[in-house]
Amino acid sequence: MNSCIATPSTRGLLEVSGLCKSFGGVKAVDGFSFDAKPGEIVGIIGPNGAGKTTVFNLVTGVYTPDSGSVRLDGVELSGWRQDVIARAGIGRTFQNIRLFKGLNVLENVMTASDPYAPYNFLSAILSLPAKRAADRQATGQAREYLDLVGLGGMEEARPESLPYGLQRKLELARALAIRPKVILLDEPAAGLNPSEVREFIDLVRRLHERFNFTIVFIEHRMEVVMNLSHKLFVLSFGKLLASGEPEVVRRNPAVIEAYIGDEE
Amino acid sequence: MDYIYSILTLTGITMIGVMGTYMVTGLTGQFSFGQAAFMAVGGYVSAMLTLRFNLPFPVVVLAGSAAATLTGLLVGMPTIRLRRDYISLVTFGFGEAIISVLNNSAQLTGGAEGLVGIPKRVDLPLVAVSVVCCLFLVACYKNSKFGRQSLALRTDELAARSMGIDVNRMKLVTFLFASAITGYAGVLYAFYSQYLEPGYYNWTVSAEWLIIVFVGGINSLTGAMVSSVILTGLPELLRFASAWRILIYCIIVLLIINYRPNGIFGDWEINRLWKKRKAVQGGRA
Repeated sequence: MNSCIATPSTRGLLEVSGLCKSFGGVKAVDGFSFDAKPGEIVGIIGPNGAGKTTVFNLVTGVYTPDSGSVRLDGVELSGWRQDVIARAGIGRTFQNIRLFKGLNVLENVMTASDPYAPYNFLSAILSLPAKRAADRQATGQAREYLDLVGLGGMEEARPESLPYGLQRKLELARALAIRPKVILLDEPAAGLNPSEVREFIDLVRRLHERFNFTIVFIEHRMEVVMNLSHKLFVLSFGKLLASGEPEVVRRNPAVIEAYIGDEE
Repeated sequence: MDYIYSILTLTGITMIGVMGTYMVTGLTGQFSFGQAAFMAVGGYVSAMLTLRFNLPFPVVVLAGSAAATLTGLLVGMPTIRLRRDYISLVTFGFGEAIISVLNNSAQLTGGAEGLVGIPKRVDLPLVAVSVVCCLFLVACYKNSKFGRQSLALRTDELAARSMGIDVNRMKLVTFLFASAITGYAGVLYAFYSQYLEPGYYNWTVSAEWLIIVFVGGINSLTGAMVSSVILTGLPELLRFASAWRILIYCIIVLLIINYRPNGIFGDWEINRLWKKRKAVQGGRA
């Protein structure tokens, strides 16, 4: 485990250091570190199978890291349960969209506030005023998030009946609704057509301006990466290959080699 | 007339039992193959309390439901973490174990000969009122944060956790509420039929309730209720063709599963009728 010595990182909102995870004999993530300051948009790129999604799964508690630390606002999160980490302020979307099919569009977003809804079992089954007031408020909030991403008017629709691009937006609205300090987007532009990609970039910019949260995203589309990120981390075979400003990283020979092979 | 009266009463009791199965299977997506055992617990506990201590009926109703909930807690705590397919095995085993216990503790329960001499305290009006009340409670539950979180984790546990939903706790809460409702159905049955025997509660009853929920629409309480009426009433209607009725019943179930894999109602609920009307009126205003 020599490779897993944590390197000190500068003070950030989300600080991940020396993250390691093996599946059987395969080291999926091998001493990876990254950090994001408040309000920063950070991109994580890397060839297929580099371990990017595994990093997200480690940060959000889907897997427990073998070693390394994940800190949010200075609080160590690794080893916590997935739902506790989410409530601590890390929201996420998934590479292969995972919406709740049994619920309509509005209810999908409402699940974000449900873990905090201020009413108990008894008011729920008797539909007491406390419950109705809380649900009304939650409905109002959920509508706001839907309006923000451009899904206003589709509250009653079934998520699976929406076109692909709108499903991505719904997943984004749902993640926003938990009011995360940090939001992790796993290939948010995958499967979108070029005009949808441009629209998506604008949407993320707009949301970022409004909420000023920290965004960490995984993406292959260079258009998205170059347009959005303030800082890039390149992951290859589970290790950090390069990091820094997007333009600098893009010209890094090691990065080019990892992506398209040696030039010779 | 007595005959129709008894069919209606038993259908009502089945509806309440099916509500329990609907919650476990329809809301959280677990397969409970032992749901009828909670009915046994509710029935036996309330009947024995009456026979031995002569407690008033409202007290034994509460005690019966509470005993079923407590049993739900005992079964639920260790199993809720398991994967879905294992849960059906555990609940199945639990159901059969309860029957075995009832059969073998003859001094307390009357064993296989059954428990006799239970006073008649339940009639059709009480069952009808109970159906309406329970339906109200379950519908409110479905429509609250509890229902939404349960439905969310049913489709995708991983995504539900990423929204901050405490999946295990939610499953347990729904399972306990279902146990309480099913236990209440058991109390009603005990004080209606005045006679209890362990064989009545075996896994075939639980399986029948699951079939009812699936035929009605896995995501629809309305569907579960309509199909309980149809599927409990149907065998009675088909009595004239007694040799064939099980076959006809099976064919109807197979046809529905084949041609409407999401059940008759899918996820449609009856309250959409007036919700939509309200929306139209709201739009005009």
